[in-house]
Amino acid sequence: MKSKTRLILFSLAVLGWSGVLLYFYSSGRINHYLAPDFRLIAFAGGLGLAVLGLFNLLTAGQKIDCCHDHANEDDTHDHDGGDMHPVTAVLLMIVPVALSVAWTRDEYSVAALGRKGLYAAPPSTLSPFLAASIPALTMADIEKSHRMTSDGFLEFSLMELFFSSADREMQALLEGLKVETEGRWIDEKVRNADGSRKRLYRLFITCCAADSQVIPIVLEFGKMPPDFPENAWVKVSGTMHFLLEEGAIQPVLVVNRAVAAEPPFEESFMRKKRF
Amino acid sequence: MSPDSQQDFALAFLSILFEGLPFILLGTLISGFIDVYLPAGTMDRFLPKNKFFAILVAGLMGAVFPVCECAVVPVIRRLVKKGLPVSCALTYMLAAPIVNPITALSTWKAFQGQGAEMMTSSRLLLGFLIAAGVGLIVSKLPLSAVLKSQLVESLKNESEAEASHQHGKSCCDHSHEHDHHSHEEPAPDHRLTAALRSALRDFIDVAVYFSIGVSITALFNTGIAPGAEWLDSLAKNPTAAPAALMGLAFVLSLCSTSDAFIAATLAKFSWGAKLAFLTFGPMMDVKLLFLYQTVLRKRFIFLLAIGLFFAIGGISIFWQQLVFQAK
Repeated sequence: MKSKTRLILFSLAVLGWSGVLLYFYSSGRINHYLAPDFRLIAFAGGLGLAVLGLFNLLTAGQKIDCCHDHANEDDTHDHDGGDMHPVTAVLLMIVPVALSVAWTRDEYSVAALGRKGLYAAPPSTLSPFLAASIPALTMADIEKSHRMTSDGFLEFSLMELFFSSADREMQALLEGLKVETEGRWIDEKVRNADGSRKRLYRLFITCCAADSQVIPIVLEFGKMPPDFPENAWVKVSGTMHFLLEEGAIQPVLVVNRAVAAEPPFEESFMRKKRF
Repeated sequence: MSPDSQQDFALAFLSILFEGLPFILLGTLISGFIDVYLPAGTMDRFLPKNKFFAILVAGLMGAVFPVCECAVVPVIRRLVKKGLPVSCALTYMLAAPIVNPITALSTWKAFQGQGAEMMTSSRLLLGFLIAAGVGLIVSKLPLSAVLKSQLVESLKNESEAEASHQHGKSCCDHSHEHDHHSHEEPAPDHRLTAALRSALRDFIDVAVYFSIGVSITALFNTGIAPGAEWLDSLAKNPTAAPAALMGLAFVLSLCSTSDAFIAATLAKFSWGAKLAFLTFGPMMDVKLLFLYQTVLRKRFIFLLAIGLFFAIGGISIFWQQLVFQAK
């Protein structure tokens, strides 16, 4: 393949990747894929790729020297050649991205959520990082750091409720407390013989969606739960309990009220950010 | 693939791609500018005369001349031909993809919330130690045991030509000959074009393997790939987990500037196994197997792969126990 054609092909492939990156950033869809720290870096990367692709596309016809020596005849150092045929290389770059853009719904299926901990037992011990992210250990601190609704429920993040299963002090403070939280609505598939339970979850993203972990709690209604679509955002209020079920302490919210909620701007819990 | 599997693959694939791309771009831009703006022989002048210290310094040269493992093989081929000792060249080749600021930055960024400082410093230290160790061993071996026979012949011819036309000065067993064969320097605007053209070429080389690697990772990450469950089952085994991840790193052939973003998603695996993945991958993988054959003897490559596997695996297991016992 001619050097100029190869350059044009490579430039177009890079511009294609740049276009995808810039589109996801500008449309806000990138929020489902990356933690906030990485979004601006991704945007800069998209711009950088655009500059690289455009520059090479516009100068593809220019002949240049390579600036260093090719002293030996057996120095096969090839400025244009890659590891594989250029068309193969471009296809390997473009096809998975194009398929992914076509297939993505910006969220995981229930099967993948299951793999990421939707129905796993809550943690029994906290990692140092997570321990540091749960700040309050006295009721006064809890009341100071959490807003109270007009009908007397303290607003908690799902993450706090989930990880309190591993924190005895927090459990003691939260047991029997009236709390309100929000998350996504999904069927409870374990320990739900009478069908009175649902599950509320959110995704905790450290860097990107691939490393995300599902943070769930159990919702107990004591009767048939209300009907919300799977994965709908729901705000629930009720009384918090920690039940020993199959050898693990399970955070269970006995629900008084469940209403549909607007999806929050952020899909996930973020580092250094609280509900 | 079912619609659900397609959706899961797409989310995992795009998220890892978006996360790693900027770092690959940064690495290839730097590599492109080094290729064009750095005169041949510059690296040579940084090395001390003492062979031992020269190897140690070569292991740190990636901090000044950062290149990923794809770019480093052509570079060391050129450097060896220009008289750089093979021991120093191999040390640089193995260390530079790890001991460089771009890899350090991407590792630190990828492991935020997962002991980023510890993982980054451990990776750099282990990469340096392993590379320097290989360099010291290679310094005791004859050239013919390490380099391809054509390259050894080429070096012999060069040294004979050098002897008949000697005006280089000896330093650390290598010559600092003048470059008689360089092209004239192009105009500055052509150099910029050459640099960005080189960066584009490097980017494509790396992006292709990254795309393949991310695809495989996304399949494992979402449980679509056959064997994902089996791989998970090894995650808690202190010996099998580092071995499995080194095997995965070998197959995935990821760039060192972006492999940390993959490693960080392997949540079920221990810290030590991830360290093994991050150290072994940039030194030995499928694509490097082919690239190394342009410089090294096949027998040496085989022994290098075995040696790296056991050394990195062993140290990672030991390091894991040390770190967690200390905690």
